[in-house]
Amino acid sequence: MSTPQPENGVIVVDNMSKAFRLHRSGTRTVKSAVVDLVKRRGAGKNTFWALKDVSFSVGRGETLGIVGANGAGKSTLLSLLAGTKTPTKGAIRTRGTISSLLELGAGFHPDLTGRENVYLAGAIMGLSRRQMRDRFDAIVDFAGMGDFIDQPVKHYSSGMYVRLGFAVSVEVDPDILLIDEVLAVGDDNFQKKCLAKIEAFRNLGKTMLIISHDLGTIQSISDRILFLDEGKVAGIGDPHETIGGYRALSRARQTRGHEREWGTGEARIDDVVFEDAEGRVTDTFASGGAVRCRLRYHARKRIENPVFGFSLCGADTRLIFGSNTQVEGFTIDAIDGKGELVLTLGNVPVAAGNYLFSFSLHSADHRENYHRLDHAFSITVLSDARFEGVCRIPCSWEM
Amino acid sequence: MNFWPHELVKRRELIWILIQRNLKIRYKSSVLGVFWSLLGPLFLILIYSVFLGLIRVPIHLPTLVSGIIVWQFLAMCLGDSLQSILGNANLVTKASFPRVILPLSMVGANVVNFVLSFVVLIAYLVWEGGAVGALGWLPAVFVSQIALCLGLTLVIGSVNVFFRDTEHVLSVVMLAWFFMSPVIYEPDMVMDSFPEWVHWLFFMNPMSGVLTGYRMALLGSEPVAPELMGVSLAVCWLLLGVGLLVFRASEPRFGDEL
Repeated sequence: MSTPQPENGVIVVDNMSKAFRLHRSGTRTVKSAVVDLVKRRGAGKNTFWALKDVSFSVGRGETLGIVGANGAGKSTLLSLLAGTKTPTKGAIRTRGTISSLLELGAGFHPDLTGRENVYLAGAIMGLSRRQMRDRFDAIVDFAGMGDFIDQPVKHYSSGMYVRLGFAVSVEVDPDILLIDEVLAVGDDNFQKKCLAKIEAFRNLGKTMLIISHDLGTIQSISDRILFLDEGKVAGIGDPHETIGGYRALSRARQTRGHEREWGTGEARIDDVVFEDAEGRVTDTFASGGAVRCRLRYHARKRIENPVFGFSLCGADTRLIFGSNTQVEGFTIDAIDGKGELVLTLGNVPVAAGNYLFSFSLHSADHRENYHRLDHAFSITVLSDARFEGVCRIPCSWEM
Repeated sequence: MNFWPHELVKRRELIWILIQRNLKIRYKSSVLGVFWSLLGPLFLILIYSVFLGLIRVPIHLPTLVSGIIVWQFLAMCLGDSLQSILGNANLVTKASFPRVILPLSMVGANVVNFVLSFVVLIAYLVWEGGAVGALGWLPAVFVSQIALCLGLTLVIGSVNVFFRDTEHVLSVVMLAWFFMSPVIYEPDMVMDSFPEWVHWLFFMNPMSGVLTGYRMALLGSEPVAPELMGVSLAVCWLLLGVGLLVFRASEPRFGDEL
């Protein structure tokens, strides 16, 4: 994919910065405004630069994925493009109609029916009543609403809400579609429908900007990736490379202070990639779900009976569980050159939080440490369950 | 938004849909719905006539009722205006459209309401069989009052985004304004007992002109000097200008504050 020239980009962001004024307390009162006026001297003191000197352009028909840690400025960037926020410095030029899926169905009014909300959403995006009437059936159909369309949306399930929001945003037929984390909502079936719709959009030559923490998906659907870090463009370009850069940086950040790498170096663990049960590359897992670690090693000489080990620690480096190939009775005769090894943890029942993985490669008698990566890899575990302690032990009560 | 009028013509469907939405939400889950816009003034007239008749207050009922109905239009607009931006935070932070449409449609919904009340008022006045006066004032005061309501809605709606004190300030101001305006009395009371410079001051209040205009047209009230009326109605339009300026200046920051 060639880099589009700024002059033919449908979105051109030119040296754009966005500052927010921070208020000490939530809402401003006249008193605090007066205090601010009096204390004006340190003007830049309470400002927070959410985006700083951001420049890039997106060509017609291109799909740009946006990655970055929480607070990197991704969502702020999309609201600036959608026109709901105004840049503090610099300029944004967009060509064509923009539809945003910033928060699905967020503009819906709970007391109005689905039908009324659909027409309102259409009018907000600048479509006439007649244009909306032509699309109405397609929207109801895509969202799978049926008779519910004439019920007030406050009676909708959250799934229906999201489905209707998505249906409206795509059926209004925008030139540019902004998508913020919608790939993370809805059931599997609906996600597949969304992805299919996104693919159809791509084939129609529409321009899309997508934010997602699901790195596997975003890598596969984007033409280019924009990597934002603390409000600055840390990289833009080839999906594989840019996401690699993002991974490396976030890994370095998250494990900062705890990681240690040592060993003789005769054989090394080059990289570890984490996957969920479905084989998708991710750093985020559901509590109780499977975690697969794909270890890529490189032995510079032939090593007989090597042992691979691992341990899982809490963010405070307290050990939760550790084991190795020897303990588990998985004998490796020898390694030589490059290869891959997969470790599957069938069920990780830990509480929500960040966890650190360590990996080691050593000799069977533990005398030789070829390579050890202590606390080098971080994963995040999400959980809905509430319990005390580090892990959930299945329990039941009887009387 | 450099060309508001041009943008607004393009977005007339959105304005209309939002007016309908505002009306629907006001009467949500009420059986009689929009009929309350007719029933409200009807009961107002009934109750005032019964009780004022009982306690024998020497007050001209048509003057009082017309004053209250015209005042209610302003009071309801300004009451709603607090939420004209805040109450639509989900739209403001999620979609791009001329923000001025929000206060505009809120005033629009209240105009619809007022017109319905007005129909009841006219019916009552016809039934009373009063005299008709200079009807020419009617369109002039009608559009001027809308300009006034819109101007103040623009100011209050945007100021309330930044300072939540607005609500409390407004309720105090409205109470004082109510008695400064000839709602429950006729301007004669001021004209007869104060020197001329007070008359000018009195008619600097835009509602003085609006209320007097309606009564001159509908009740055949004693005419007031056209210069005084001119000042009053000019202030209405001046406040619309101020409202537009304030709104334009604060509009870019709505997205950050909400």
